[in-house]
Amino acid sequence: MKRVLTVFLTIVMLFAIAGCSNSGTTANTPQKPAESPKAEKIRIALVLPATVDDMAWGQSMVEGLKAVQKSMGEDKVELATSEKLGNAVDAGAAIRQYATQGYDIILAHGSQYQSVLGEIAKDFPKTTFAYGTGFTTGPNIFAYDPQAQEGGYLLGMLAGKMSKSGIVGIVGPVESGDAVKYNYGVQQGVAKAKSDVQTRIAYTGSFNDIVGAGNLAKTHISAGADFLTGSSQQAVGALRAVAETEGKYWLSTDMDQSSLAPNHVLASQVYNWEKVATKIIELRKQGTLGGQRLSLNLADGTIQFKYNEKLADKVPAEVKAAIEQAKQDIVSGKVKVELPKK
Amino acid sequence: MEGINSEIIIVILATGIRLAAPFLLAALGEMFTQRSGVYNLGVEGIMMMGAFVGFFITLIGGSPLLGIAASLVVGALMGLLMAVVSVTFKAEQGISGIGLYMLGWGLSGLLFRLYVGAITTIDGLKPVAIPLLSDIPFLGPILFNQNGLVYSAFLLVPISAFILYKTTWGLNVRAVGTMPEAADTLGVSVQGIRYQCLIVGSMLAGLAGAFLTVGHANMYADNITAGRGFISIALVYFGRWSPWGIMLGALLFSMADSFQSMVQVLGINFPYELAVVLPYVITIFALAISFGRVWGPAALGKPFQRGTRG
Repeated sequence: MKRVLTVFLTIVMLFAIAGCSNSGTTANTPQKPAESPKAEKIRIALVLPATVDDMAWGQSMVEGLKAVQKSMGEDKVELATSEKLGNAVDAGAAIRQYATQGYDIILAHGSQYQSVLGEIAKDFPKTTFAYGTGFTTGPNIFAYDPQAQEGGYLLGMLAGKMSKSGIVGIVGPVESGDAVKYNYGVQQGVAKAKSDVQTRIAYTGSFNDIVGAGNLAKTHISAGADFLTGSSQQAVGALRAVAETEGKYWLSTDMDQSSLAPNHVLASQVYNWEKVATKIIELRKQGTLGGQRLSLNLADGTIQFKYNEKLADKVPAEVKAAIEQAKQDIVSGKVKVELPKK
Repeated sequence: MEGINSEIIIVILATGIRLAAPFLLAALGEMFTQRSGVYNLGVEGIMMMGAFVGFFITLIGGSPLLGIAASLVVGALMGLLMAVVSVTFKAEQGISGIGLYMLGWGLSGLLFRLYVGAITTIDGLKPVAIPLLSDIPFLGPILFNQNGLVYSAFLLVPISAFILYKTTWGLNVRAVGTMPEAADTLGVSVQGIRYQCLIVGSMLAGLAGAFLTVGHANMYADNITAGRGFISIALVYFGRWSPWGIMLGALLFSMADSFQSMVQVLGINFPYELAVVLPYVITIFALAISFGRVWGPAALGKPFQRGTRG
């Protein structure tokens, strides 16, 4: 009897968790067969590695999709989200489920989903899939690819020109993908602004260790950095650590993080996912289900550079002018922000 | 190498001391639990719950002390749950511990979503400089300018040693973990001691979680513990179930971590992947080469049933 009860309790516990961690998956919509292109309503499913409120990569996409929903009409766009699927195998199950339920567009928001999408997309030829950061596409797979180095370059210039200590610190997650591009851009921007300002990069080895990121930020500060930046969802931990010291500034990427520390976030690189998602929807309407690589960049406004209004007067006019000039040069192609060679 | 001076060394050591606190709290708790013959793999989940509740109560109550108190309460409740499952119902301890871990992970994330909903920061514990002692050159800023939880964690080392080796209760704990049949015949309640140890141990794990949010990061995000609970369990083995050994292990690990951060930050040419794994490698290495017999509580992991053998 006791043994039965034990097994039962353990199972209940496990199910309780499975229920919580998947809370977003169940959008209560009637199950439809995969093919319904005539439906006026577009059904979009989003699979996230972290959470919808991470103040970074995930949240920026969620807000972009909500903006799409607003502009096209709540009744025209249906949105479903699944979170905490950083593990590509678990994500695969959710993606397949969405496809079976007849979602039109499935966004897998992370580079780790590339191969799992490649497998699943073959079985659902009428569904549009998209993932990023990435560039490998398929007949019904879009890959989106933020040119993180472009905004990074501008933020780097800002840091290089404004730094008093002459040291800019980067709190990186893992040396790969988006983070490398971003860091590379920042480094070049800093060097362009002032050749004697150092850029120091350190990695936590994780994407979601906010305690570790906070600690790296503190180490950077104690070693002299006064401008810090970093990508991924753990970056908010570093931002919080920066906010504890007067006179230290943070430059945010992915989205505008100034609401977390209004006196410390000087500027942001913001991804405009609304435009990307709108483009995917338009292409699908025209009958293009995939096969394109969608670049996010300064030129078409899918990457924006934003100052924090509250601190805007801290940035001298000539610095702003120089950054604006650099932005024009990147847009016109006069300045090319290099990418690391593979 | 430029930049290596006493100031940098002070930063490395002071950070190492601070980072050791959560490991120390959680591992000392787990030590009591294992000494009584139960291994609790749910430490990570309890830490997550402690981290969330500590953060949340600080956020709404306005005082980090309230948050810390709340983390102790939630730790005790999680420990009680583990005790019911693994002591009363004699469930396989490994499985129920993992279940507890997943419960803590899911529940803390869910509660955060329901009651907070967005990343929010709090005013956590401030460092307290101890008068006179903090003025000692070099050692002062390293040892005596930390927050209250760091002092508590290190004070708990001699206190735990005293309780374990010098009190009747400590003797009972060791007896129950080594030979529960003998303890039982002498009138010691095996189940009672195991309940007490699980609850006290889990309270310390909850406190370790609160350290992360209230005493260090000043915010909460999903999965904030990032494996620190499991490392704490490993440190119990590393420390051979003794408070001083655990302190040594926690310090070794956190100093290595603090050191590798500084190596990266100073731009010393060293692959970051190796730097990041350095603390783990050193710990495994120390575990592998440490001399002496590996000794653990003999009844560890075995549910006690009166009248039967293990």
